[in-house]
Amino acid sequence: MKTLRLTSIFTILMLLFSINDAKAQAPKGDVLIQNATVLTITNGTLENTDILIEDGKIKNIGKDLRQPNNVTVIDAEGMFVMPGIIDAHSHIAGTSINEGTSQVTAEVSMEDVVNPMDVSIYRALAGGVTSIHLMHGSANVIGGQNETMKLRYGTTNPDDLRFEGAPRTIKFALGENPTRGGRQRGIQPQTRMGVEAMIRNSFNDAIKYREAWADYNSNRSNRKIAPEFDLRMETLVDILEGEILVHCHSYRADEIYMLMRVFSDFGIDKLTFQHANEAYKVAPELAAFGASASIFSDWWAYKLEVYYSTAYNAAILTRNGVNTSINSDSGELIRHLFHEAAKSQKYGGLSDNEALALITINPAMQLGIDNCVGSIEVGKDGDIAIFDKHPLSTYAIPQMTFVDGVKYFDINTDEADQRIMIDPESTIEDVVIFSREDFDMCMHEESLVNFYELVNEEK
Amino acid sequence: MKLLRKFTFRLFVLLPFLMASTLVIAQSDPTGKSPVTRTYAITKATIIPSPGAKIDSGTVIISDGVITAIGTNVTIPSHAEVIDGTDLWVYPGFIDAMSNTGANRPEPMERPDNLFTPDPPNDYAGVTPHISVIEQLDITESSISSMRKIGFTVSHTIPHGRMLPGKSSLILLSDAEHVDHLILKKDVSTVSQFVGAPGAYPGNTLGIMAKWRNIYRNAELSKRNTELYASNPTGLARPMNDRVSEAFYPVVEKSQPILFNASSLLEARRAIQLQKEMGFNLMIGNLEQSWEIIDELDNNNVSVFLSLDIPEKPEENDDEDKSEEVANLEARRLEFYNRHMEQFAALKAAGIKFGFSTHGVTSSKIKKNFIALQEFGFDSTDALAALTTHPAQLLGIDAITGTLETGKMGNALVSTGPYFSSDSDVKMVFVNGDKYDFEIKENSSTPVSDEVASVLIGTWNYSLTTPEGEQTGKWIFSTETGALTGVFTSNDPSGLADTDMENLNFANNSLSYEFAFDAGGQMLTVFVSGDIDGDTFVGTATIDAFNMSIPITATKGEPEQ
Repeated sequence: MKTLRLTSIFTILMLLFSINDAKAQAPKGDVLIQNATVLTITNGTLENTDILIEDGKIKNIGKDLRQPNNVTVIDAEGMFVMPGIIDAHSHIAGTSINEGTSQVTAEVSMEDVVNPMDVSIYRALAGGVTSIHLMHGSANVIGGQNETMKLRYGTTNPDDLRFEGAPRTIKFALGENPTRGGRQRGIQPQTRMGVEAMIRNSFNDAIKYREAWADYNSNRSNRKIAPEFDLRMETLVDILEGEILVHCHSYRADEIYMLMRVFSDFGIDKLTFQHANEAYKVAPELAAFGASASIFSDWWAYKLEVYYSTAYNAAILTRNGVNTSINSDSGELIRHLFHEAAKSQKYGGLSDNEALALITINPAMQLGIDNCVGSIEVGKDGDIAIFDKHPLSTYAIPQMTFVDGVKYFDINTDEADQRIMIDPESTIEDVVIFSREDFDMCMHEESLVNFYELVNEEK
Repeated sequence: MKLLRKFTFRLFVLLPFLMASTLVIAQSDPTGKSPVTRTYAITKATIIPSPGAKIDSGTVIISDGVITAIGTNVTIPSHAEVIDGTDLWVYPGFIDAMSNTGANRPEPMERPDNLFTPDPPNDYAGVTPHISVIEQLDITESSISSMRKIGFTVSHTIPHGRMLPGKSSLILLSDAEHVDHLILKKDVSTVSQFVGAPGAYPGNTLGIMAKWRNIYRNAELSKRNTELYASNPTGLARPMNDRVSEAFYPVVEKSQPILFNASSLLEARRAIQLQKEMGFNLMIGNLEQSWEIIDELDNNNVSVFLSLDIPEKPEENDDEDKSEEVANLEARRLEFYNRHMEQFAALKAAGIKFGFSTHGVTSSKIKKNFIALQEFGFDSTDALAALTTHPAQLLGIDAITGTLETGKMGNALVSTGPYFSSDSDVKMVFVNGDKYDFEIKENSSTPVSDEVASVLIGTWNYSLTTPEGEQTGKWIFSTETGALTGVFTSNDPSGLADTDMENLNFANNSLSYEFAFDAGGQMLTVFVSGDIDGDTFVGTATIDAFNMSIPITATKGEPEQ
């Protein structure tokens, strides 16, 4: 009896601990922003308006809101408040980017390699960014699962950056990157045809896998040898069942169209094309499928398959009814995505609201988090960026950035050294401006692998 | 009748063993190296039988491998070799909770022809949990004697390798004639680390985490399938034979822990994440950054072996005109040095009993590190506990060793004063009751031998043949700090910054060390080993991450101007 009681106490304790673990909750803040020009995105522009954030959520929007006790007040007179910027394609804050050794790695997840101590997070906050989509690289046809994160800088625990409730997403890649890897290793795929075949074969394998397990589980009373567990197939099955949103690295119109056909055949409909430089050529088809596009404003000329690019891409897609976002794919561009969005006004004449939607509500929809972020609405998360001028102005400078009502960036209290973890044996020399840009791009680790192969092939 | 037969049978089986052991004792010894007796009495010594305890002017008797008596009122056996312990201090022999001591680094595996990189063979992928470190043990490994020389008697040795290099063993740091004699306890843990396969799956942490989950889930299924088949195979398809899964059965049963070699905070968190998902028993060794995860370590019952690779205290730039920015950067670096140093006392305050790991640490730096820690609330009693009783408990050998008590194994160290001070030396070490005596030089606290002083100390000019051409630079060896240290430099101004050598070993004209450098965000470790003949060194430099070995040569001499 005594043992039993001890055991049950132990169980209760364990439960308490596991609840504590699961509830290791991110901080939530209370703040009242007064007299701002509020760019709501979904409900127009509101002049001289207050926003009240309580316990991390937008509680009220209106004029002359009553100030509750113990709430920080920010006088934003003359300033512009917009929803925190969302970057649908980023490679900051990851200790690895590509598991480029295999052409299908659906089983790997960026969740496992989040580096909350990357100072690039702070730099992104200083550009008004509050959420990023940390993507696996583009070295493989079916890459790893991505991680949607909130930029809660200041913690060493990767779990603190998790975007609670965000759907799972995964990276696919078409074109030069995965075929280059295939040719280097002498494995499939070496051509664009091989890429399509590999995707179809993978899904067909997943269907067989699902059947094998369904058969095993159908009648458990029978004595049976269990099939092999395969995390790769488990993930592909989840894609087939619509539980994982696909974000596909792509450039050319023909392969964009190809993937839509493949997905139609397998009944998968949650699809966003990343980069998609030639998406403007198939804009009506994208709209008909219901696919989205997450693109650069005017970045190309870095390889052949981006040859037919245009800065009008965002405007053409928007006018054709395609949900479109502008992303960074860079630790540098992420600091001024508001400039990138503004380019769609120069090239294509999008309205202020349409341009800002490219970096707020549209990427939120592509990531399945538009119920929480992407616009300033009562009930949504208190993820806010404050600018001194209209964010689409060349002269705009971000002033403050809030995530869940907690201030993570303030230009007035911006310390020079924002590092969270410092190597005590590091040397301090003349301060050198160091570019992380090379690290934060898709193909980073693949180039390391290339060096290895260079070494071994010359042997 | 039946009984008699049984008895005769037993005798028959036992006889060869009885004879064999008699032979060992009776064998003549033309070298004259065998001890006259295996009974030792250390008398009139200051004895620290366990952390926090002290016996003044006491006696320890170690006889035939076992501590047979300890105290102030001890009868000395007539056949004992008596060691006058006046001014000497006796401690329990140290336990190294994780290292590669005694294990030879295997040659890098050749990349197989036509390697299918998505699914390489298990040995190339580094998935060999079925291998035992015993296969890598080498009785002539110089690390055995260099670790023993500073007081270690037992090492928890892990195999060299990649993601799942194999099973660890506890070994005795003795001069054995056969590897089997070294083994104290085998298959203590299944070792894992975040080391990817060069250019094949799993190539990095992403693949390793996924592969881990796959291996573990399949081990669970394989165990169930195998048991089902064993109970009654009729009508069942034969389950696949799989050594990797089988090696995980004891982990799944929780009779064997996983030991993660995880030095950084993020690596340790990943190990804990896997434990939370799968529920195995977890040890984390070589840990350098524990201070942010003390609660997680505690809540998840992780056995912790902190790294003895302790940072050097950062030196401030004494330039009067240094900028405010540099001063601020120095202050923040010092803040993190302090955090690093304070974590030992912080873990202790949290009630976590931890051991020390010497993995990748140069043996001559170790004692200095204990002394440095005393300024940070971690005193000699704490250090001794982390070197003896705590690792003994965590590794399940506390009934055998870890304290000086009657009936325990004869593992002890004798020093010329309190061990945890800069002016004492280890005079002798007992491992399994065998005595190892060290020569102590007058007026010198350096454990550096004449061989080192004459052969190694000075500047060497090396030449390394890399695929990108010849790289040259210097090695600078010195004993100025009281211990042997080395620095690796590059003559190329855009090349490597000066880098301290780690795990530096030099004995019998054989030199080995390693150093790490940052190759664009990825830390690469280079392992250098070779032989010195006069003023010439010839050897190889190995980068495991690239599966690459390249020739390196060096000549001793003054640097060219």
